[in-house]
Amino acid sequence: MDMNGVFCALLLVGVMYAAATGQADAAQRALLSGGTQAVELCLSLAGAYAFFGGLMGLIRESGLAAGLAAALRRPLFRLLRFELGEEAALPDICLNLSADMLGMGNAATPAGLRAMRTMADAHGRDGRASDAMLLFLVLNTTSVQLLPTTMIALRAQAGSASPADIVLPTLLVTAAATGCGVALCRLYAARKRGRRR
Amino acid sequence: MNESLLLPALLMLALLSALHAKVNVYDAFVKGAKEGLATAVEIAPYLAAVLTAVALLRETGLMDAAQRACAPLLTALGLPAESVGTILLRPLSGSAALASVADVLKTAGPDSRAARLCCVISGASETVFFTGSLYLGAAGVRRSRYAVPVSLAAYAVGVLAAALIVR
Repeated sequence: MDMNGVFCALLLVGVMYAAATGQADAAQRALLSGGTQAVELCLSLAGAYAFFGGLMGLIRESGLAAGLAAALRRPLFRLLRFELGEEAALPDICLNLSADMLGMGNAATPAGLRAMRTMADAHGRDGRASDAMLLFLVLNTTSVQLLPTTMIALRAQAGSASPADIVLPTLLVTAAATGCGVALCRLYAARKRGRRR
Repeated sequence: MNESLLLPALLMLALLSALHAKVNVYDAFVKGAKEGLATAVEIAPYLAAVLTAVALLRETGLMDAAQRACAPLLTALGLPAESVGTILLRPLSGSAALASVADVLKTAGPDSRAARLCCVISGASETVFFTGSLYLGAAGVRRSRYAVPVSLAAYAVGVLAAALIVR
């Protein structure tokens, strides 16, 4: 399922619904306003993005990000249960997840892809995803971000009385989803080992 | 607790550790701000595409119809009807989720339960399908085994947890 299909489906359904209900005016208005809304949204987000980017710049240059990556090393080694050779990916995994936690997506992705390749190389790129690779992937798809910067910015520009009041609930939800992802990965991995015996 | 203290406190922490590490604070901030601004420009075309689709669904009344149709199920799960767009779009695309959250903020009000819930769901999750295909593709994986079901199940748990936590 990719974004191309979703985008085409949304547009097709929207235009057909407008035609069936005789709402050409509404459809035209919508088509001409979407781009304007996008530009306005980006402009209003840009200022807050600049601040959060600057804050992340300080966190990175001061060594806080590297400190976080180093602190993740031992717990991640225990959590991931590497197969032989896969542990070579650990530095990139720490870099990826620490950047993800701090919301530095641009820094996280290259390290994450390197880590996946390193782990795949450890068993000769046989097209199989190992349990460590899948758990690492699930950590990336369940989000481990500590500060939801975009949502805070969005709320501030929408005129919220307390833009940051979503931070604690977001952390709790992230923890619940990530915990559930890890538990399910463990369950699947254990079931596979059980069958092999 | 006053949440407004969070950002100033975080800035203070970053500032003190930057001073401790003898980093040029001004240069580091400007360099980061430049990247932040670049991000805002980069996402503009994606938002233009998705907000056009969202505006079409909104203006023709299709969004309302979809919300009414999904309302009984969502209400049973403790979720407001307005959150259906965000919940369905979040695993597919970051900009689509951003567009639908912005839509809810505008139509339901930024401090409504629906808006806060959509912000929490969107902030606490990732684009499952994009991230999955990117990472598995990079490693040449053909058999992804339990990757997608586990990721989607974790997302569903997150959505239900958000319904319980956001009041």
